Amino acid sequence: MAARYVVSAAAVSDLQRMAQAARELAGADGRVDAVALAGDAGVLAPEAATPEEVVGRLGRLADRLLVYEGAGGWLRGDVWASALRDALDEGAEAVFVADSPSAREAVGRVAAALGSSCVSMCDRVDRDGDRLVATRSIYGGVAEGRIALPNAPAACLFAAGKFEGEAGGPAAAVERRPSAAEPYELASVGEEPVVKTVDLAGAAVVVSVGRGFAKAEDIELVQPLVQALGAELGCSRPVAEDFKWLPKERLVGLTGTSVTAGLYLALGISGQVQHLAGIKGARIVAAVNSDARAPIMRNADYVVVGDLYKVVPELVAALGGSA
Amino acid sequence: MRIIVCAKHVVDSTEIRWDEGRGEVMLRNLPTKISDYDRNALEAAVVLKETGDAVGLEVVMIGGEPAVKTLKEAVAMGADKGYLVEGGWDDPFDPTRTARALTEAIGSLEEPDIIMCGLVSEDGYSGVTGPALAQMLDLPYLGPVVLLEVDAAAGSVEAVLDMGSVRRTVKVPTPCVLGIDSLMNVPRLPTVLQVMKVKADRIGRISLSSLGLTAGAAELTPAAELVGCASGAVERKRVVIEGPAHESAVKLVESLRQEGVL
Repeated sequence: MAARYVVSAAAVSDLQRMAQAARELAGADGRVDAVALAGDAGVLAPEAATPEEVVGRLGRLADRLLVYEGAGGWLRGDVWASALRDALDEGAEAVFVADSPSAREAVGRVAAALGSSCVSMCDRVDRDGDRLVATRSIYGGVAEGRIALPNAPAACLFAAGKFEGEAGGPAAAVERRPSAAEPYELASVGEEPVVKTVDLAGAAVVVSVGRGFAKAEDIELVQPLVQALGAELGCSRPVAEDFKWLPKERLVGLTGTSVTAGLYLALGISGQVQHLAGIKGARIVAAVNSDARAPIMRNADYVVVGDLYKVVPELVAALGGSA
Repeated sequence: MRIIVCAKHVVDSTEIRWDEGRGEVMLRNLPTKISDYDRNALEAAVVLKETGDAVGLEVVMIGGEPAVKTLKEAVAMGADKGYLVEGGWDDPFDPTRTARALTEAIGSLEEPDIIMCGLVSEDGYSGVTGPALAQMLDLPYLGPVVLLEVDAAAGSVEAVLDMGSVRRTVKVPTPCVLGIDSLMNVPRLPTVLQVMKVKADRIGRISLSSLGLTAGAAELTPAAELVGCASGAVERKRVVIEGPAHESAVKLVESLRQEGVL
């Protein structure tokens, strides 16, 4: 029997990424079915105005878009899980879902209900003989682990990433299905949008600050540098979580955001593994640190050994700005 | 309300290193502790006990025999009793198996109104054990919880969930499973004296084999297994620039221009 894969995500670009990963595994004979949840006002997963918009973006990456209707006013993990289970009923090797809070509930529920192998933080999934093997970051990024997944359908939650493929070609067929959910009694009684002022994941240049700064006010020192570089300001875990000098949306690392910047400039950051895990995707890492033995110094392309309070204004001057 | 907090005994994640010579992760002889995120869950539960909303608070801990020490610390934070689930169901990379062991262990205790979990564990970072547990117990799941209010009389929970782009307030009747976000609170540290005062009768053991489940039981066979690993480090150029601040800054900017990232 040709291999079948089910994919889903909360964002369209993530759905493209999941479909692409599944398409590579499925091969020419295999099938890829994408699952969408349609709610009261448009498509909830992946967030889009209409199923046609999703299909247009998927192109040849998926064979079918299964649209489960009646998903309500917001994306619920239990409703999502029911849709995935219905889609998996036809038999599948695996289900690929991009990580998000609701996705964690959906994938955890699917795996528990079906007795599936379950893996999180996947970077990729490959076939190894008759089983699937996921590659994921383990122990906070210390290593890349290979996780064997014997129980089909393997429930795989993918780490954040960028879709970089081509989605052209014939559009997938749309198949509308009634809601498969018998949701729990759970009422949404309020909703407050979180205003995002920071885009660390998508920034071309990120300048990050760490414990090398003696006090919160000193972080102001980097503002001229941030401006000269057109950068986004990030920080390490102590700055966001222990000292709370900067909000968590600026945290780079395992429990914060992973960057994909061309340049990552680490100022006064020692470079714990949890932080390094978040900067693997950066093309060039530069660091300024007074301690030549700090772990960041072995994990950067260019390291300036020196006092950041002196080096930062000099960097601004060298870039042609005013310190 | 009766609350059960699920906790895991883990290796201190900040101490884990890659062994270049052996080509493996060094895990032996490292300090162990309760997973940080479970301490947030425990803190949330202890606060409910202090306000009188919770009348019973138990900790169910996954881990090997050394976890007894950690369990005492967890109980000292303010729980009535702690149970160690015997048998080693703590594989970091098999979250549904951990959830199954928790399900069986919780099933052997008096039925709780609220089950709390840390959002992730410090070893596996999977983030799916709580939802998998909710599925196995056929209960609603709320997470990541950043604010919590319980109405013991009405038997309901109202929670603010951090869903990324929105903060949503939801209300559910109990029983339910909650995934507690580390942003919700700052966990208290029990004193040495408080830990010493935890008497043996407040530490219990749950043996899954006594519940009719052995390691070979179909429900508990591994569903995911670590079969290999490689260094997680990305090779970098490691060009060291030393000297006075002005010269170093000029050299760095030159290098970055050559790389084409400025």
